[in-house]
Amino acid sequence: MLATYLLLTLIAVFGHFEDFLGTTLLSRPLILGPLVGLVLGDVTQGVMIGATLELIFMGNIKVGAAIPPDIITGGVLGTAFAIMSHKGPAIALALAVPISILSEMVISGLFVFRAVFNKKFNQYAEDGDYKGIQRLHILSGLLKPLLMGIIIFVALELGSTAIKSFLDLIPAWVQSGLQVAGNMLPALGFALLMNLMFNKRVAPYFFLGFMLAAYLKLPIIAIGGLGVIIALIVTQDAPKPAATSNDDDFDFDDTPAETIPAEPQHKLSNGTLRKLFLRSLALEANFNFETWQNTGFAFAIIPVLKKLYHTKEAMTAALKRHLQLFNTSPYGSTLIIGITAAMEEQNAQDKDFDEESISSVKLGLMGPLAGVFDSLFWGTFKVIAAGVGTSLAIKGNILGPLLFLIIFNVPHLLLRYNLTFIGYNAGTKFLQNLSKSNVMDKLTSGAAILGLMVVGAMPATLMNIKIPLNIGSSSSAIGVQSILDQIVPAMIPLGLTFLVYYFVKKQVKTTWLLLGLLVLGFAGSIIHLFV
Amino acid sequence: MIKLTRIDDRLVHGQVAMTWTPALGADCLLVANDKAATDEFLKMTLGLAKPAAAKLLIKTLADAITFLNDPRGQSMKILVLVNSVKDAATLAAGVSEIKSINFGGIRTKEGARSIAKALAVTDDDIAIIRDLLTKGIELEVRQVPTDNRTPIETLI
Repeated sequence: MLATYLLLTLIAVFGHFEDFLGTTLLSRPLILGPLVGLVLGDVTQGVMIGATLELIFMGNIKVGAAIPPDIITGGVLGTAFAIMSHKGPAIALALAVPISILSEMVISGLFVFRAVFNKKFNQYAEDGDYKGIQRLHILSGLLKPLLMGIIIFVALELGSTAIKSFLDLIPAWVQSGLQVAGNMLPALGFALLMNLMFNKRVAPYFFLGFMLAAYLKLPIIAIGGLGVIIALIVTQDAPKPAATSNDDDFDFDDTPAETIPAEPQHKLSNGTLRKLFLRSLALEANFNFETWQNTGFAFAIIPVLKKLYHTKEAMTAALKRHLQLFNTSPYGSTLIIGITAAMEEQNAQDKDFDEESISSVKLGLMGPLAGVFDSLFWGTFKVIAAGVGTSLAIKGNILGPLLFLIIFNVPHLLLRYNLTFIGYNAGTKFLQNLSKSNVMDKLTSGAAILGLMVVGAMPATLMNIKIPLNIGSSSSAIGVQSILDQIVPAMIPLGLTFLVYYFVKKQVKTTWLLLGLLVLGFAGSIIHLFV
Repeated sequence: MIKLTRIDDRLVHGQVAMTWTPALGADCLLVANDKAATDEFLKMTLGLAKPAAAKLLIKTLADAITFLNDPRGQSMKILVLVNSVKDAATLAAGVSEIKSINFGGIRTKEGARSIAKALAVTDDDIAIIRDLLTKGIELEVRQVPTDNRTPIETLI
């Protein structure tokens, strides 16, 4: 048993290593579930439980300082206990939810605690000791996987006998109640996604996605493909929306952008730039609540600083500059890193260069670009990847987790890699061109259409809630569900999703919605309203 | 009408574009900031982050006050963004519609102390905060719309 527990702990530690691995979704339940299944000898169960948890935690995303429940710890422990006790996805969910909320508190505590290292980081900068900064960045980053690993191992070692005998006590009606509740919970994930994207303008695409799935029974991958085509057509023909230069008379006039930095001499090798990309994958390793990703940025830019600055004074100044607060979307971080590299190079060549401008460009870009890339990746790529991945995995298909990773990470890594070079070579000019053309508007509205079509397909494809009631006497009874299916198939999942969305809009806390759905599912199961 | 006035030193970014704008149903983001209103580069970067569903206006504090007092603004759902406590107080003094101010994020700087996650204030800020409180303006701390509203007086 000890070996099994160690392996399970390793899986969770691997999950918590995501901060070193570029937030590539390797830590999501859909990936860790099958791994847990592999260790416990039941990959199919692992895939299915992973899919169930992925659906429920679908809207569970990290934006800014808002830290979501720790689904790594909750997911691994929940999946493990469910498989070991042969109780299925419902039990995994019942365990994963409270565990992930508890362990989120531990992680938040760590993010607060990490701020104490900032003194040490600044001291290293003062000494021009970039190696010290790199070392501490990695060591502090290791704290999270190590700490959570210890907690998980202890939980498994001390808790599993108790939890297993407790799970054996659970009567059948509780289990079927949990099952129904578990089938309802994805409504929360869908509603949270809708909250990101849904508005009157793009609402038709949600229903288009729903109808394609509910009536035509198209698989999500086909709806995603159609979504891409529709998004391309719509954004092509759209009349140019005058976004910032609206001619409302009490609006400002758009003034042409001036050119910012002059053309620098590009001397950094492609190898150095590739290092920036690779190091950007560890951007979030030392995430903390005081200076956020600052040491991650310094860690990423150090290869450039090493090439450019050969005196202690120059290195110290540069290191101090890059230990300032920083926070952006990891997915687009390389654009800022590339631009910074070009500016640092200019600074090293030109004595009159204003060093302050490096910081102001960095700080100016980090917020806006976080908005752009977080929406694009969490709102579109992640949604499609999870939609396709879970729809296969929920039936036990191992292709689900694989496609999930591929759909998300192929565009992610390609873009992230290329943005390093675009940032370095084109610098802020690239952004000026973007802002002058309406590419960004096209991109955001196209991405919203695509994402929303897939979200619309989800209630019809991924939620299984039925009403087992019959009308009429036993010999000629007609099922209520079959009548509903003739009108609008998947009417109940759709209705439930909108109900939850309504409460999300009313700013009801997610935890309450989660509990509400659990109670509704439970009660519905007991009175045989839902199965 | 003003749906929310928020202090956030990153002005328009992920949290604003992805959580606040949809939660408030805002169709207009008004950045009230003297520096951003005159700096083309800043304007450009803020424009990039604009959510598709809303339009973005970047104005000096004085212009923002004029704009917010204009009755034509009543039909819009405006999310006002400032980057400092001082600017928020200036706006509140000039716009009577502002009865509540949301504290989102202020990064730490020399002489500031952290009073909540992602929120650091200086003694000057606290003086302004106390002044705003005596004027009966609600000051609440929330990163994202679904957080609990924490009244700032419980933190300082």
